[in-house]
Amino acid sequence: MPLEMEVLATPEAIDALMDRIMGFMQDERVDQRTAHNVALIVEELVVNLGSHGSCRDRPAKIKLSVEPGSVNGEIRDSGPAFDLTKVADPDINLPVEDRPIGGLGLFLVRKLTTSLQYSQLNGENLTSFAVTRRLGVDVKD
Amino acid sequence: MDIQEERVGDTYVVIAKGRLDSSSSAAFAERVGGLLNDANPRLLVDFAEVDFVTSAGLRAVLLLLKKAKAVNGAFALCSLQAPVREILDISGFTPMLTIHAARPDGLAALKA
Repeated sequence: MPLEMEVLATPEAIDALMDRIMGFMQDERVDQRTAHNVALIVEELVVNLGSHGSCRDRPAKIKLSVEPGSVNGEIRDSGPAFDLTKVADPDINLPVEDRPIGGLGLFLVRKLTTSLQYSQLNGENLTSFAVTRRLGVDVKD
Repeated sequence: MDIQEERVGDTYVVIAKGRLDSSSSAAFAERVGGLLNDANPRLLVDFAEVDFVTSAGLRAVLLLLKKAKAVNGAFALCSLQAPVREILDISGFTPMLTIHAARPDGLAALKA
């Protein structure tokens, strides 16, 4: 059974969302690394919607499903169109003094997902992603 | 996130527990940043019980790192969990940080 939730991009809602996602991942016996990365991806996307979209007053719809080889996710929102697959990567080789504060959220999403797609239809944005699971390992590994 | 502080000689040890993410990272940066106000601060942040870090957490770590450099302080992390370490590696943070396997190693290094 997939996990489906609607969430506003407020700190309290995001906190509750993370609890729910980690619980769901554990119930579905997803390995710790995949569970961590899926939760991180969802948080980054929802936080981004909160700052640049409009999900502080219109909730985003999140769906997560656990398949044999991957965890798949979808986020639907009705904010401004934004194709996260088209954003340039930050330079992660700069020294401390030159690293800008911020800008890593979408970079992590792009690095941690095995696939990532964006589309827009009738004013609704759909961001879908997949994260390949490690199989044959204990949930705690 | 729960944050506790201990003093071991001249070193502050911060013991963080829980998630370092958008809900907690600003308070974390502020509280831990306050410990860098002493002259020649030495700060070890123990991540043994931090199981989740997002870009907001990375932002906080970077702020602390920049502040420590600016005040000529010593700043190190220890006991990173594997998923957290992976995020630091992917973001190119690992070369900028001093990371110890365990608290005793960090304390010994910061005492020196």
